[in-house]
Amino acid sequence: MTPEELKARYGNLILNLSIALEAGDETAFTSQLNSIVRERDDGVWLQLRKLTSDLGTALERFQLDSRLVDLAEKEVPDARHRLDHVLKMTDEAAHKTMDLVEQSGPLADRISNDAKELSELWQQFRSRQISPEDFRQLLDKMEVFLDDVRNTSDELRRNLAEVLMTQGYQDLSGQIIRGVITLVDEVEATLGHLVSLATSHSSKDNDIDKFRESRGHGPAVPGINHGNVVNGQQDIDALLSGLGI
Amino acid sequence: MSKDLRFLVVDDFSTMRRIIKNLLHDLGYPNVAEADDGNTALPLLQVGNIDFLITDWNMPGMPGLELLKAVRSDPKLAKMPVLMLTAEAKREQIVEAAQAGVNGYVIKPFTAVTLKEKLDKILEARAAAK
Repeated sequence: MTPEELKARYGNLILNLSIALEAGDETAFTSQLNSIVRERDDGVWLQLRKLTSDLGTALERFQLDSRLVDLAEKEVPDARHRLDHVLKMTDEAAHKTMDLVEQSGPLADRISNDAKELSELWQQFRSRQISPEDFRQLLDKMEVFLDDVRNTSDELRRNLAEVLMTQGYQDLSGQIIRGVITLVDEVEATLGHLVSLATSHSSKDNDIDKFRESRGHGPAVPGINHGNVVNGQQDIDALLSGLGI
Repeated sequence: MSKDLRFLVVDDFSTMRRIIKNLLHDLGYPNVAEADDGNTALPLLQVGNIDFLITDWNMPGMPGLELLKAVRSDPKLAKMPVLMLTAEAKREQIVEAAQAGVNGYVIKPFTAVTLKEKLDKILEARAAAK
């Protein structure tokens, strides 16, 4: 409080107090004395309120700070690791799909070429222009071809099933990406909250927990500690059979 | 084993639903309905023409575990075979699913052989119980 403020606040009160004292007016004196005490108490309450509010802000900021530290030290590096894993998964899936396509193309070509060759002999046979030697060849080739078509079709079918299974990466990588999006949302909300704390003392919306709400953990990512996770289907089968399932 | 079984596949990723649907077709089960979470799955189940439920765990809306609990607590659906097909890998979760009454649990990524094995196992156990 500046000397001017001090004077403005207590000057009149003290003047009135000393007038009452001079006059020997006990009622007026007591009333003025009470006013002075009340004035001083009000100042204390004001200070106390401000102190409480500052303490609240500091606590809130501390809570945000520790969340930010957690985000910066653990979850952001984790997210980077997760995205690396997504990159690896999509890369592997794309290559596996292309490998299978590349394997399958020549199989289809071979059937097509063999069929073309056979159909030339077949046309000769139909127009009765085939030599006995060529006819024997036609029969042999037909037998080999039919076997080959069956086996090759099976192989193509397996390759197609494998291509299908490989697309599962989209689900797994999608879940991981969704987790990272949630994290980015939280970083944004936390930083926004911090900015509003720095600019005003009245920010109250404490909805950080909303972002931590989880409906499952998503796929386990190698290299990230997910707690007590199973190691593949065999592990699950053992666990479940222990539970009688 | 009856090939007329009607399946409901619940997963929020349409790619995964497509994969499972294709695998079921290959295994000789052409009758497959789809839903993208528990909230859309339950009404389909309650209509009453589904024989087998395959569900993911981690889905927005109603997650798979909640769906499983809802199915088990509905007298009309309580005996429905339920296979969990999910990336959720924590031991506590698998135990939780088992306690909620799951009939099988397949972890993603999975193979066609694993899916067939678990389906057959559940169906054989049900046939034996009848």
